Amino acid sequence: MFLARVEGSVIATRKHPSFNGWRLIICQPVNAAGAAEGTPQVAIDPHGAGLHQRVIISSDGLATRKAVGDDHSPARWMIIAIVDEPESAAPSP
Amino acid sequence: MRLGTVIGRVTLNKTIPQFAGGRWLLISPFTRDHFQRRRDPPTGLSKDFSLVAYDNLGGGLGDTVGFVEGREAAMPFAEPTPVDAINVAIIDDVFYLPGA
Repeated sequence: MFLARVEGSVIATRKHPSFNGWRLIICQPVNAAGAAEGTPQVAIDPHGAGLHQRVIISSDGLATRKAVGDDHSPARWMIIAIVDEPESAAPSP
Repeated sequence: MRLGTVIGRVTLNKTIPQFAGGRWLLISPFTRDHFQRRRDPPTGLSKDFSLVAYDNLGGGLGDTVGFVEGREAAMPFAEPTPVDAINVAIIDDVFYLPGA
């Protein structure tokens, strides 16, 4: 599992059928200070994460196959949690 | 999955039977500094190592594709198959806005 920041999304018409209907989100692994580490990963998103929100992504293929409901899916990365934090644009109380 | 540009193809002479009918793509993976915006792939190669991935979607030279690495790459095959990377999506559009 990695801490990551949502940095975009991708559109693909031609894809493995198990990805049909899933949002494909670009997740940049980050460290505790928020600095990028490593290459961006594309994960499926069952939670509806927003742009620049911090999330936890998991590489557990078994859990991802269960989520998409296809035992032969090549899906590997999935957003499993959204980090609880105030929106950066929100005025501080 | 990661994203990358198809920079070539690999043609095999003799293969194990599971690979019959498949194609192989040579992919240069995107990095944070070398990433596609909208429909325009970045020019040149990224600093990451290029890799060969199995393809049954029909990716072509210059296409942007999404590929899965690791154990999951073999999951679409009916029987155990020695494959480590597979093309699972041909990317039409990328919205990428890296944050601070």
